Amino acid sequence: MANVSDTAGAAGHAGHDAHAGRPFMQHHFDTPTQQFNASKLGMWVFIATEILMFGGLFCAYAVERGLEPGIFDEAHHFLNKIMGASNTIVLLFSSLTAALAVRSAQVGKRNLTSFYLVVTILCACAFLVIKYFEYSHKFHLGLLPGHCFGHPGMSAAIQNGQEVGTCLHTDVSKAPVTPEWVRAVDEEGHVTLLPPRANMFFGLYFVMTGLHGLHVIIGMSILTWVLVKNIKGKFSPQYFTPVDLGALYWHLVDLVWIYLFPLLYLVGKPE
Amino acid sequence: MAADHSHDHVSHDHDDGGDVHVHISPSRFYWGIFGALVCLTIATVKVSYYDFGSANILIALVIATMKASLVAAFFMHLRYDKLFNTLAFLAAFLFLGIFILLTYDDVGVRAHDHGYAQKMSLETGMQAPGGEPATSATADDVAGEGHEGAPPSGSAGHEPKKE
Repeated sequence: MANVSDTAGAAGHAGHDAHAGRPFMQHHFDTPTQQFNASKLGMWVFIATEILMFGGLFCAYAVERGLEPGIFDEAHHFLNKIMGASNTIVLLFSSLTAALAVRSAQVGKRNLTSFYLVVTILCACAFLVIKYFEYSHKFHLGLLPGHCFGHPGMSAAIQNGQEVGTCLHTDVSKAPVTPEWVRAVDEEGHVTLLPPRANMFFGLYFVMTGLHGLHVIIGMSILTWVLVKNIKGKFSPQYFTPVDLGALYWHLVDLVWIYLFPLLYLVGKPE
Repeated sequence: MAADHSHDHVSHDHDDGGDVHVHISPSRFYWGIFGALVCLTIATVKVSYYDFGSANILIALVIATMKASLVAAFFMHLRYDKLFNTLAFLAAFLFLGIFILLTYDDVGVRAHDHGYAQKMSLETGMQAPGGEPATSATADDVAGEGHEGAPPSGSAGHEPKKE
């Protein structure tokens, strides 16, 4: 491993020496650095495609919000800011432990790498548990996307003027209540009115957080696979690429949530 | 524990057979980044209780972008990585920006949304492309027609309603 002369002119045999004692080296790479850089670039291109996939949903969000900002103002109050913020902190912390796992692998501390990977996976579980409580709250209220919007406790088509509840911001008696306004009743029996097409907001909410949640589950699987390989002793300061790339995927999950959280939970008129 | 490897390695692959050398930040540094991210999260939640009108979304996005930059630069090591990786990453945002801006502009300029299905030009008051045919039917009726074939033009308004 020590005195390897990988001059370019050595007609393909230079790489041969570089492979000695390096079981992780693939035959088509000359040096570990070349292999590492190629893997990293591949991962970054993949991350770019992931951003573009979520980008379609962000585009839908921008268009819908531009057309009807009112439904976002009203409907986003059904999301719990505190739960969303807790989930943000949980994901940020898991990103920290993922970065620390990579650092431990870089300096060859195998047990510490395993520890940080386990913490990261546990944080992912915590995220999904909080998300479960949020989702079941919406399901219970009937705040579902598309045609599923509605619930026995939610009557569509209230008649103009007959039914006066309290809208979240505006006094309904003054608001232009059209037959399409939807009455939502929460657990305590409070009546709130949602503007027509409020289901659009919940459609975006469920698709965006749902696709993100799918990424959380995939990220957990990848990190578990990395953890198993790490316990088997496959990694060293010379070769930690899967730890690095697995963590990059996990940071991507974090990045998407960093934008989803304010766009869904925070923007809009405060109460 | 953090001190031994925390100096910056410059790649010098000719005396060690091309072993991987990367920048290794101290653990304390990562904890510092995490602290900054938590502070920004608290800030964005606090700010959301005040109404700045149309600047609400701008403030939220600026703070989110600051957080994303911290994650990408340090947790994802872009700061110490090859520049080309950063370019690949930023290219995604460039094209995403083009995608969103053009779509947003298109929807905003071309038509005014009338109910569910019909589009009307703001300037001419005429039927604009992108909607269902301009009948006097309600949204449900329109949704039943108009899927197949070219939408009837001009005299469509006089067609008898189905159902």
